[in-house]
Amino acid sequence: MKKKIALLMSCCMAAASLAGCGGSSASATTAAAQAPATTQASTAAPSKEASGGSGDVKLTMSWWGNQVRNERTQAALDLYSEQNKGVTIEGQFSEWSDYWNKLATSAAGQSLPDLVQMDYMYIDQYVKNNLLVDLKPYIEKGDLDVSNISENTMASGTVDGGVYAICAGINSPAMMYNKTLLDKNGITIKDYMTIDDFEAVCRQVYEKTGYKTSIVYGTAQTYLDYFMRAYDVVLFGDKKMGGTAEDYIPFFQMYETGLKEGWLIDPGVFAEISIGSVEQDPLVNGSSPETMSWCAFANSNQLTAVQNAAPEGVTIGMTTWPSPDPKKSGYLKSSQFFSVGAHTKNPDEAVKVLNYLVNSSDANNILLGERGVPASSKIAQELSPKMDAINQEIIRYINEVVTPNSSPINPPQPDGASEVFNLLNQVQEQLCYGTFDSKAAAEEFYNSANKIMSQK
Amino acid sequence: MKEKKRESFRHFMNRESTAGFVFSLPFSIGFLMFMVVPMGLSLYYSFCDYNILAPPVFVGMKNYIKMFTDDPVFLKTIGVTFYFAFVSVPMRLVFALIVALILFRTTKATAFYRAAYYLPSIIGGSVAVAILWKRIFATDGVINQLLRIIGIKTSFPWLGNVNTAIWTLIILAVWQFGSSMLIFLSSLKQIPVTLYEAARVDGANRFSQFFKITLPLLTPTIFFNLVMQTINGFLAFTQCFIITQGKPLNSTLFYTVYMYQQSFEFYNTGYGAALAWVMLGIIGLITLILFATKKFWVYTEGV
Repeated sequence: MKKKIALLMSCCMAAASLAGCGGSSASATTAAAQAPATTQASTAAPSKEASGGSGDVKLTMSWWGNQVRNERTQAALDLYSEQNKGVTIEGQFSEWSDYWNKLATSAAGQSLPDLVQMDYMYIDQYVKNNLLVDLKPYIEKGDLDVSNISENTMASGTVDGGVYAICAGINSPAMMYNKTLLDKNGITIKDYMTIDDFEAVCRQVYEKTGYKTSIVYGTAQTYLDYFMRAYDVVLFGDKKMGGTAEDYIPFFQMYETGLKEGWLIDPGVFAEISIGSVEQDPLVNGSSPETMSWCAFANSNQLTAVQNAAPEGVTIGMTTWPSPDPKKSGYLKSSQFFSVGAHTKNPDEAVKVLNYLVNSSDANNILLGERGVPASSKIAQELSPKMDAINQEIIRYINEVVTPNSSPINPPQPDGASEVFNLLNQVQEQLCYGTFDSKAAAEEFYNSANKIMSQK
Repeated sequence: MKEKKRESFRHFMNRESTAGFVFSLPFSIGFLMFMVVPMGLSLYYSFCDYNILAPPVFVGMKNYIKMFTDDPVFLKTIGVTFYFAFVSVPMRLVFALIVALILFRTTKATAFYRAAYYLPSIIGGSVAVAILWKRIFATDGVINQLLRIIGIKTSFPWLGNVNTAIWTLIILAVWQFGSSMLIFLSSLKQIPVTLYEAARVDGANRFSQFFKITLPLLTPTIFFNLVMQTINGFLAFTQCFIITQGKPLNSTLFYTVYMYQQSFEFYNTGYGAALAWVMLGIIGLITLILFATKKFWVYTEGV
């Protein structure tokens, strides 16, 4: 009897452990199953070993994003499977912050997805650790067509002469503002505002309406980068910060001025929202002018989301971020990239999918520029008549406002950047709570950041 | 030959110890895979420069030295965590004891009330409640609305103020007094009624009954709760991570959240691992101190 129980138990154990192994990928596919991917859910578990000689190829692709992106991307991937029998692609998606934890862990486990959505901030780190496939040979072979992508755009995915990432959509920093409110009060916004222009508007808005101004809070890194470009200062040098401590004073000065004159939004407001969430931004979320802002620092491809989040009857306008010299600061950037993970067993097939996502009209008819204006000028042109007014406006902004006055983006941020950015946001916090004046803030930021970088 | 082999297999399966091993396998495998191995790895990583993406590089005590000589945030989080644990735990225990005393008398509704008061400790640690808490203390949240009703017109940013933000977390922690309360309730029931009867005969009022009988006999339970809750207090994570993220000015940055930031946001995973081991040391030390004080105030004679 005992023996039987023991046998039974070990059988159960074996079954349970098998189920356990399947668990993780099963849950990933259940998440993906809202798209019509259910058919593969049962077979997807042993994803990588199955490629074999039968010609069956299974790939995984991971990205971060919103619900719209998840559905459209999975649909585009399914269409690829339909057109290429024997290839199935499993989509794995998560929120921005979880995404990078997950990706780093799978990198450590030598199991990066075949196709990876990359961000400019992380490219350098991933390339330096040999985690992405150099796509140059595939471009030379003709498997990957980049002939319709501009040189500037390609440059942003290039590290040390190798091409590691292809732009998935172009966007540019853009300031969103409450057009309805400003129109009502006779305040007009022109593109390419300088800091003086901007502060004048802030004062005016505060006097006339009581609405305050939120200057990027808690996510100041991109704006600092943009701001410093006006002085020809690149944030990061080799194991040190660019420029001198004095160079950073004007940036913090802006907050100090706002604080003194009363138009800067109370930093307490940001303790209550998740920073970075479009829906909770003080531009669209809040109960009184005192806790709301007339503007928000965002990116052009977020216009749809901001407009959707805005209260009924409020039109959102879009202009360039203010800067001491906006024409020098401006740049086009890839909102995100597609890369091929170094652990892929089928680099050829992965590159083919990448090519499909970038160059195929079929794919882009599904994706509809959700990631930004398509990198391929041919696709962008094809797509433009199919887009709604908001997306037309985004294309207009990119082509007519930013492109004529832009220069190549700064090099990718090095290791240690995320710590420096955290420092920046803490210094900014202390400035807004009145612990620092702008001079002390600049010095504290510059010195501590240099220390962080020197240890990398 | 074959026969003999089968015999020995059968013999093996019939042995008492085999069954024991098989039955303990689920635990043993889990314990090895999810406790021992990760702990060993994290101890190793704590002596390494490790950023997850690249293989770890052994650097000796560097992480530990940096922690104690060159990291003001580390000291700040230690301060915040101690403050949180040493304020919230005693408050929670006092609260739990008071409610337990009230619910001790059995009436028809007692069961309902016990369940109702226990509820917060089940749901209180969840993400949903953390988000709810954030809304309650918002400038336009329930607290400020209530204040407005009683005539105090305010839009005080409870979460945005350096002095009040930590208290929102402390109140949330105190609110989860349910499990301590249940333990108090059960040990209240074990105090013999005869002691109270004797005390009443001798003319003791309820007040001295509580301090002379109830409290001394509860000290072992108080001690148990104190140790468990203190450890939990030091390990608190969700509330801070969801509600305040350490804001404002790191005034609510819990040690565990800082550990998470270092490990997964700044990719200083080796340093994060070192932080974890220091926390283990701190908790061990505090538990030890608590145990050392035991003989001065915990009543241990058999009842």
